[in-house]
Amino acid sequence: MARWEFKLPDIGEGVTEGEIVAWLVQPGDVVKEDQPTIEVMTDKATVTITAPKAGTVVETRGKVGEIVAVHSVLLVFELSSPGEAVGPAPSADASHARNGHAPKDDGPAATAVGDIKETLPGMGGADAGVGLDVAVAVGAGAGYFNEKPLATPATRKLAREMSVDLRRVSPSGPQGRVTKTDVEGFSRAPAAPSSRGTAFAGTALARTPRGPLEERVPFTGMRRKISQKMAQSTRTAAHFTFVEECDATALKALRARLQAPAEAAGVRLSFLPFIVKATAAALKKHPMLNTTLDESTNELVFRKYFHIGIAMATEAGLMVPVVKDADRKTVLDIARDIERLSADAKAGKVKLDDLQGSTFTVTSLGARGGLLATPIINFPEVAILGVHRMKQKPVVKDGQIVIGEVMLLSLSFDHRIVDGSIGASFAYEIIRYLETPDLLWMEMA
Amino acid sequence: MTQMNMVQAINAALRHEMRRDARVVVLGEDVGKVGGVFRVTQGLWDEFGDDRVVDTPLSEGGIVGTAIGMALYGLLPVPEIQFADFIYPAYDQIVSELAKLRWRSGGEYPAKLVLRTPVGGGIRGGLYHSQSPESLFIHVAGLKVVCASNPHDAKGLLLASIRDPDPVLFFEPKRIYRAAKGEVPEGDYTVPLGRAAVVRTGEDVTLLAWGAMLYEAIAAADEAKKQGIDCEIVDLRTLWPVDIDTVVASVVKTGRVIVVHEAPKTCGFGAELIALVNEKAFLYLEAPPARVCGYDTPFPYTLEMDYLPLAHRILPVIVATARY
Repeated sequence: MARWEFKLPDIGEGVTEGEIVAWLVQPGDVVKEDQPTIEVMTDKATVTITAPKAGTVVETRGKVGEIVAVHSVLLVFELSSPGEAVGPAPSADASHARNGHAPKDDGPAATAVGDIKETLPGMGGADAGVGLDVAVAVGAGAGYFNEKPLATPATRKLAREMSVDLRRVSPSGPQGRVTKTDVEGFSRAPAAPSSRGTAFAGTALARTPRGPLEERVPFTGMRRKISQKMAQSTRTAAHFTFVEECDATALKALRARLQAPAEAAGVRLSFLPFIVKATAAALKKHPMLNTTLDESTNELVFRKYFHIGIAMATEAGLMVPVVKDADRKTVLDIARDIERLSADAKAGKVKLDDLQGSTFTVTSLGARGGLLATPIINFPEVAILGVHRMKQKPVVKDGQIVIGEVMLLSLSFDHRIVDGSIGASFAYEIIRYLETPDLLWMEMA
Repeated sequence: MTQMNMVQAINAALRHEMRRDARVVVLGEDVGKVGGVFRVTQGLWDEFGDDRVVDTPLSEGGIVGTAIGMALYGLLPVPEIQFADFIYPAYDQIVSELAKLRWRSGGEYPAKLVLRTPVGGGIRGGLYHSQSPESLFIHVAGLKVVCASNPHDAKGLLLASIRDPDPVLFFEPKRIYRAAKGEVPEGDYTVPLGRAAVVRTGEDVTLLAWGAMLYEAIAAADEAKKQGIDCEIVDLRTLWPVDIDTVVASVVKTGRVIVVHEAPKTCGFGAELIALVNEKAFLYLEAPPARVCGYDTPFPYTLEMDYLPLAHRILPVIVATARY
């Protein structure tokens, strides 16, 4: 049997590293070809990587939350070739290899979660809640955290081996030291309760709270990626936001007219496809808004393609699937794309390819869009369009106050690249298309 | 087997090797007719005569320098410095010549000799007859440093030292010259250099000691045992090259280590031992490594028994380390 190292493949354009989200196999597991082995979150999406060959997992490298570079080893396999699957091979080499990996070890892990409740002080239900008890409860509870825990090297080693975060272990040793017993006790305890409500609910709040005063939740995966991207954008781009009204009367009427034929074609037509189309059309007239700055070469890159990212709220967090070549698609095509992307995003199975390559982003702020907003640019793009809810408002028309269909647009620009007048021109271009949507018929290139 | 003390065992080793190897010569102050101030060389002059047992003037630099010259011309000298405290006039010869010649000459002129000298206090010798300068020589690359704790090892280590290709400093703990007694084989045997001995196995704390202080460590361990603390005791025997594998194996087992030595604490060999333990067994440590040593003062005469790291000073450190 041969050992074989499986490396993180180059999963897509420009992806250089990924964060391990979950291991789906453990050492000792026998895996089939194409069996899912690991979930890795890249800049763009979470991908499930499957085993390219069948074999026995000898080693998994990297813990959940760890960043791994493309081409670094993720898994070591003992490859199984046909005829070798059953029974120990007689050669010394093979038997040595078998000894190398311990039997599957999920037994202890499972029992470890069973016998805990009595062992954790301060978590019981009895309400003997006097002041003194509370201190103990807070200290020993699941929410304990100490940035600089005291422990001997041997205890630190044990914690490392048991994958226990020493900072979370409530100490019982002399001088506030975490002992080996503390570490072992901690690893037997259940995971921190995720119920936010219970600890502070109702009458409990009126009396002394029994639960931890703070709760710590791992900041990993998608959330961390979003955080990094947002911070990078605000740190790098010089944001300025431009807000203007748009008369949506004509747009509303057009959409009403087209709804029936769209439905006949199997598409639910919202306003968004019109806005995406108008944006693509406006970008063609204002190519500066479709650029990106390559700081490594000091070049402004004018993109001759118009891929519009659509910001979508999903359970996992913000995602931006991309409508490719929006300039060359009809409103109906765009509507179809958005429908598909939105369904995929909700189901958590957007393809990596659908998340890459946007040149400009539209964020439809929806029913709770507010009056105005200051959207953060989807870096390294140079602008973003925020669309607010369409509302009926009194407007002045020909000296009369009438009921108008008003929609507000909030655009943020990277002032390093986009001057105020250019940004404003672009904004008014979009507004022109939306107020006179018939013009979009001429934008089918 | 014969019951011997350290003096007799070392004497037996010298006699054995001088009979076996005609190149071996002894020189030093009063080593001839008198047989040495501690009587270690007693009877050698009678048996081997003036040519092989040489009384020298009171000149340590001269003794070592002459011995180096003899060695370069093919003899195998075993010079004696009467007290280690007197070795400093010879320090330049030892550091600049003895330790370097084998390297300098690419092994062609090794200047092979074994420099014997009594060390340590506890004999009412005062500050010029009580020092333990081992780390001054361990720090000089090119030398091996040995310190036996019992007659059996003393003979075996001395024979191994004489037969080793490197120059060896052979420290003899004078406090136990006559107190340490034991069976010594009559014939030829060696105790290999670079190997420590685990003289007592235990689970809770590792004690590292050598020479006279080994017995203080044992006495302290006996007391600790009464308090339920089980000490493992390692006699280093060869200080350099140190048998770090044995030390680390013990510390890995117990998770706790205490070094005992007579020399002042600062920059003593204990510092090096603990550094090595930290490098090689850090993640096994259950308590901070500890040292019980002489103080950072010249060796005192009247306060001798306070200065030495005797059992009553070792015991509380064992307890504190075990219960850390």
